[in-house]
Amino acid sequence: MAPLDTALLVLLTPLGSAAVITLLLARRGAAAAAVSVTASAAVAIGALSLAFGGARFSASIEWLRFGSFAVSLGFKYDDLAALMLAIVGVVGLCVHVFSLGYMHDDPARARYFGGLSIFMFSMIGIVLADNLFMMFIFWELVGFSSYFLINHWREKQSASDASKKAFIVNRVGDFGFLLGIILCYWTNGTVSLTELGAAHAAGALVYSRTIPLLLFCGAVGKSAQLPLQVWLPDAMEGPTPVSALIHAATMVAAGIYMLCRIEVLMVEPALFVIAWVGTLTALYAALCAVIQSDIKKVLAYSTLSQLGYMVAAFGLGSAGAAMFHLTTHAFFKALLFLGSGSVILGCHHEQDIFRMGGLRARMPLTFWTFTVAVAAIVGLPGLAGFFSKDAILALAYDNNPAVFAVLALTAILTAFYMVRLWKIVFLGKPRSEAAGHAHEAGMSVTAPLVLLALLSVVGGYRGAYPRGFEGILSLVPEASGSTHMVVLGASLFVLAVGAAAALAFYSTDGTDALQVRFPGAFGFLESLKTSFDTAYDYYVAKIQQRFALILNFIDVVGLAGVVVRGVGGAAELVSSGLRSLHTGRLGNYVYWFLFGVAVLWAYAAGIL
Amino acid sequence: MEHLAFSCLSVLALGFALGVVLSKNAVNGAMCLLLCLAAIAGLFILLHAYLLAFILVLVYAGAVVALFLFIVMLLDMQGGQPWRFRAMQALAGFVASVLLIAGLDMIAVRGQLASGPPAPGAVGSNLKLYAYPLFTTYLLPVQVIGFLLLVAMLGVIVLSRRTGEAGRPT
Amino acid sequence: MSPSLESYVLLSAALFAVGFLGVLVRRNTLVIFMCLELMLVAATLALVAFSRFNGTGDGDVFVFFILTVAAAEVAVGLAIIVALFRTRHTIQVDRLNSLRR
Repeated sequence: MAPLDTALLVLLTPLGSAAVITLLLARRGAAAAAVSVTASAAVAIGALSLAFGGARFSASIEWLRFGSFAVSLGFKYDDLAALMLAIVGVVGLCVHVFSLGYMHDDPARARYFGGLSIFMFSMIGIVLADNLFMMFIFWELVGFSSYFLINHWREKQSASDASKKAFIVNRVGDFGFLLGIILCYWTNGTVSLTELGAAHAAGALVYSRTIPLLLFCGAVGKSAQLPLQVWLPDAMEGPTPVSALIHAATMVAAGIYMLCRIEVLMVEPALFVIAWVGTLTALYAALCAVIQSDIKKVLAYSTLSQLGYMVAAFGLGSAGAAMFHLTTHAFFKALLFLGSGSVILGCHHEQDIFRMGGLRARMPLTFWTFTVAVAAIVGLPGLAGFFSKDAILALAYDNNPAVFAVLALTAILTAFYMVRLWKIVFLGKPRSEAAGHAHEAGMSVTAPLVLLALLSVVGGYRGAYPRGFEGILSLVPEASGSTHMVVLGASLFVLAVGAAAALAFYSTDGTDALQVRFPGAFGFLESLKTSFDTAYDYYVAKIQQRFALILNFIDVVGLAGVVVRGVGGAAELVSSGLRSLHTGRLGNYVYWFLFGVAVLWAYAAGIL
Repeated sequence: MEHLAFSCLSVLALGFALGVVLSKNAVNGAMCLLLCLAAIAGLFILLHAYLLAFILVLVYAGAVVALFLFIVMLLDMQGGQPWRFRAMQALAGFVASVLLIAGLDMIAVRGQLASGPPAPGAVGSNLKLYAYPLFTTYLLPVQVIGFLLLVAMLGVIVLSRRTGEAGRPT
Repeated sequence: MSPSLESYVLLSAALFAVGFLGVLVRRNTLVIFMCLELMLVAATLALVAFSRFNGTGDGDVFVFFILTVAAAEVAVGLAIIVALFRTRHTIQVDRLNSLRR
């Protein structure tokens, strides 16, 4: 089958699955689950076959045309898209299979799987899009899918609030994104990625600082960088597989992917800003993660932190490093989330880590896969995370020592909180009834864990990737010479320090050691988290609400009153004036007739 | 001689026309209309349109005004009210008429009718010459007029049906 | 030496104005109708005068049509008035104003 047809199938199969589920299977959870998982498997097979097939193509058709302005829909399937599509397919399949077990008892299962299918469709659309308008369309669709899925348990007020928050904060970022797209179209005359690339190669591209920064706003919103990171921790209200797929592996990575796509537009000052935004996000999130007691919140902040790493890597100049870390992160973060899902399921929907414990003995498979994931994220040598983090640290060391220092500090914190999590959840004695009775879930839950663990182990070795992905992976910077030694030493050092500190500091007795021994520091870290929310609340309540009231007043008095009813009133006046002509008396009509004739005569005589 | 005839006939015509307008009794009004038409027939004869003069008397005065008299006697006798003089209305009417005359006259003056060519031989006196264009150049209007008369007849028949109790035409 | 065209036209205009005055002032529908006929006749007078002074017969022929139309109009109009009288029992125009407003 031609690659274009395969790509089209990959894009449209989840849409078809969503349509079938919505229209026909809205009450039949098992059938909906089967349809969705099948579609996801088809997507994974399609994505992998396209990647290994080696064909790289681009194709587009014109969709709308207004004079000289045209919006077209098309695919741009190059190495970058191949890698991302494969990630989306594989991780998507793992999450779908996991959901079979995790959501087995959920009454609204069909709705959930419909939402997952729509999400897959939107995400693949972003990956394959060949111009910024099309990407924006699917960008918004992804935002909608995220809203829909976070809000899955819609009886809970917190879930509804979280989904609205996610959507609105994303919208703020998307506004900047749209402005960037419009500005790009205005200055360059095109938003097609292929044409922009060609213009860049020919040196005919118009470079400006505003365009990449505005486009970066979209990434700030979607990938939850400072200051729009407030939605991601709250998005954990959704089911765990959703958090794994959307808020860890794929959707939040869409921002990074978009940045890599528009690499040709980047200029030095924009890259500087991007690098520092990413770095500060990484540090901030790591600090917030240290004090969390909900297992998913820890992972959410960890995601924020790692996304900051990716953005920083891109800002330092290497899209390859960013994509490499995105790939490995997708594997081990999805594994972490799914593992936490397994833990939550085993402990009967308990999410507080201080009420878990001792799960090492009771859920061994989950324990071992989770350990692999933790090792990967803290950068244990040999595992995937080690290689990708090393690449970023090397990049930072070569280009921007300040960024390197901050990222290294963040790495310490990463090790610190991840090992804290691992120790409190799995080691020691069970601290609650539920933890005491925990057991492994079925095959559908554990099989994806094993697969992802495998990928987390081998994902760092470039040789492990089939030839199809060479194009991107060759862009990953290799440290050499003294840099190599320094960075290697640094990463080993941060790993050791962080892990040892966590192991020593935290105990498994059910209390947060930091809270107990250093309450001041604990309070400070807590306020870090809430400060953003407080600031936004203040802005919305005091500033935005008042402005909205003013506009409302203008609308009611001015528009509805003066313009609408005024025009109506004027028409009424005219009509009542005309109505008074209908007296019903013959004499009056004859006089009007005479008047008309007189006017005509005057006109004919030249007087009028 | 012609001037004299013209003056007399025009005075008569105007006088009887005013009589139509001002008469209190509708039957008197109809009679005045009759005499006015007679005066105008005289004027036609002065203009050498003999056929038209006779047609006017026969058709118009003889049939139409007679019909008017029939209806007047049918309706007005039973419930007619005397005409009351209303100053405001009369003044307005008078002003309107003056305007009308002025307007028409202005057009006449503009058209410079006074300096028109003197009258050549009257065409209308010759019946054959009169009938010939009627049946060649104006054949279509003649046919249409015939159709119009047919429709008018049908209309009169339909309109004058007496409606029964429930509104059905009997 | 016949009267000029202008005097005929002026006479026709005067007759027309008198008829118009009658239409405006009288309240009896039948008298209004008679004044309408007066206006028509005034028009025919003008036409005949023009036809005489231009030397063509077209004006005369047209008068023929006017007379026919006037006859048809009178017939239908009187039928309407009679029908109106049957329902309204009045022929004063100021009582026949149910089309008001």
